[in-house]
Amino acid sequence: MSEIKVLIVDDEVEFAATLAERLELRDIAAETVNNGKDALSTILVRTPDVVILDLKMPDLSGLEVLNGIKEHDPTIEVIMLTGHGSTSSGIEGMERGAFDYIMKPIDLDLLLEKINQAYEQRKNLGKQP
Amino acid sequence: MIIFSRWLAKFLPEDEYGTDDASVMNKRYRKFRISLLTTMLTISMLPATITAAIGYFQYRDLLQTTEKEQLLWNLEGAQKTMQTLINELHSSIEFVVRDDRCDEILEQDTLDTMLIRLKLKYNGFVDLGVIDSRGIQLTYAGPYKLQGYNYRVQEWFDQVVNRGFYVSNVFLGYRNIPHFVIAVSKKRSDSEENWVLRATINADTLQNFISTINTKASDDIFLVSRTGKLQTSSRFFGNSMEYCPVCETSSHIHDIVKLERGMGDVLQVSAALENTPWMLVLIKQKYVHQAAWFSFRKRLLLIFLVCAVACLVISYSLSTMLTNRIRETDEKRQSLLTEAEHSNKLASIGRLAAGVAHEINNPLAIIDQKSGLMQDLLGLTEDFKYKDKFYTSIAGIQNGVSRCKAITHRLLGFARRMDVILEEIKLNELIQEVLNFLEKEAMYNHIRMELQFQENLPTIYCDKGQLQQIFLNIINNAIDAIGKDGLILITTRVSQEKDVVVKIKDSGPGIPPNILKHIFDPFFTTKAPGKGTGLGLSITYGLVKKLGGDITVSSEIGKGATFDIRLPIKPDKSAERANNE
Repeated sequence: MSEIKVLIVDDEVEFAATLAERLELRDIAAETVNNGKDALSTILVRTPDVVILDLKMPDLSGLEVLNGIKEHDPTIEVIMLTGHGSTSSGIEGMERGAFDYIMKPIDLDLLLEKINQAYEQRKNLGKQP
Repeated sequence: MIIFSRWLAKFLPEDEYGTDDASVMNKRYRKFRISLLTTMLTISMLPATITAAIGYFQYRDLLQTTEKEQLLWNLEGAQKTMQTLINELHSSIEFVVRDDRCDEILEQDTLDTMLIRLKLKYNGFVDLGVIDSRGIQLTYAGPYKLQGYNYRVQEWFDQVVNRGFYVSNVFLGYRNIPHFVIAVSKKRSDSEENWVLRATINADTLQNFISTINTKASDDIFLVSRTGKLQTSSRFFGNSMEYCPVCETSSHIHDIVKLERGMGDVLQVSAALENTPWMLVLIKQKYVHQAAWFSFRKRLLLIFLVCAVACLVISYSLSTMLTNRIRETDEKRQSLLTEAEHSNKLASIGRLAAGVAHEINNPLAIIDQKSGLMQDLLGLTEDFKYKDKFYTSIAGIQNGVSRCKAITHRLLGFARRMDVILEEIKLNELIQEVLNFLEKEAMYNHIRMELQFQENLPTIYCDKGQLQQIFLNIINNAIDAIGKDGLILITTRVSQEKDVVVKIKDSGPGIPPNILKHIFDPFFTTKAPGKGTGLGLSITYGLVKKLGGDITVSSEIGKGATFDIRLPIKPDKSAERANNE
């Protein structure tokens, strides 16, 4: 069993839950929260390796949550979920420190690949200091 | 000014964009052209016509005045000549009665001799008679037996006794030959009694004499009594002794007179002859200066016609040119408006579509995940009766989802939410790449691709991915349109050094005009449901516009369709702004 811990942040409860369940089936420990505030409070308690973060949420926007996460722990990798046809907000996220972005509806295999890459990077970064 | 502009607005083509009806527009422009032509002709021809008319009448009056003066001058001459004749006749008779010779000529022989002498001088003398104060003809020399005839009751007798000299009108008398009388009265020195010498002269004398007057300058010359009886024959009014209605009143009229017998207007001048009851009348058919008048009229008409033709030609060409220019401008504006309207429509539909697509995206993601989860779970489950059917159903769901995904992505792209990344692009190579991608499908359908690329086509600054999508869409459509067996001709060239034009022509069945109108509208498709989204060309349209280019389509039934894609070599600022939206 891989030790990757993933936090899924998405206001679409069904989407988040289903994605979490599918990741669990692939031996990834996945937890879900449905708004930005919960996400920020959760990372204080349990530090995830990778956060899958929806850009568009009612309370805090994905980019604000991204800032909060990076402030708390820059080593936590974030993969942005964009619902737009545009890649611009994804790229903006990456400029602010996100690891990558992926468009909704997601291709699970692609997401898994990105999670693994992000985890590898975090591990490497963690070793460096 | 206000009135003028109102009047102008009346026939200017109205600014109506509701009317597509070509015949209505044609009528409107024709009306405008005719009004313009009429106005211009009026403005140019009116002064010319007035000037010509003034010239015409002025010159005619001048000619008539000259004519009249000349005729009056002739009249004066003729009057003098006639007066001379009268005077001579008078003096001849005076000679007979000179020096109180009454007793002498009372003798028949003497009177006969006198008549012979007078006859020698003027052949017209017919007879002579000596009348005493009681009016009784004492002696008579001549062919008639008139001795003893009493003239006392006749009017002329009193007149001659009172005035001493008398000339009568021409009359027939009982001898039935036109003649006139000249009488002279004298007082006897011894008894203070009047006696009268009466001479009769044939009217032929007058006629012959008047004929000798040069009539070159006039058309008719004759004598007339104050009561309008012709004394000599007239060309226009008949023979001597006939009645001339026009002459009666014309004691001193010099004027233009209308003749009754269809001879038109004549110029008539007349003068009284002294000591006679006669008027001398000269008549001239109007305008002896006719040659000058006709040549003037001819020249005037010619100049006027040349002027009119020139005005007509200039006005016609000017009004036609102006109307065409206005029409072109109107049409250009109309087409710009239509195009702007169309772009606006596409943009608003695009925004709506993008909004819908965005909302659908989330539930679509849930369906996608749920079906994925079902698939995952199915994999972990032991075989059961309908496991395979579950698998195929899930695959069906996922297939549907991916189709929806394609639609939403395209819709979002259509709404210009995709970023433009400008880079240097060799268009010929890019089209070749796209064609490589479509090669197999074309080969399979026996569709030949013919490329006519302009060599050394300048590199353009554009978005590679979007260009690929544009050409992919259009060439794909061309392949779909042809079906099997056909040709797609792709040409590239530079236009006006700032654009690159790609022409894609297929040998398909062509597009009917009613479909051609809507070909770039979103969701407009002629394909069977599920086979096409109806977004391909509208997205292509949006992309080309976003890249600062232009796309047009032309087609004829049975002759295929041609798409012209015009792309700027360097995008202008408006395109960049559109990109940054």
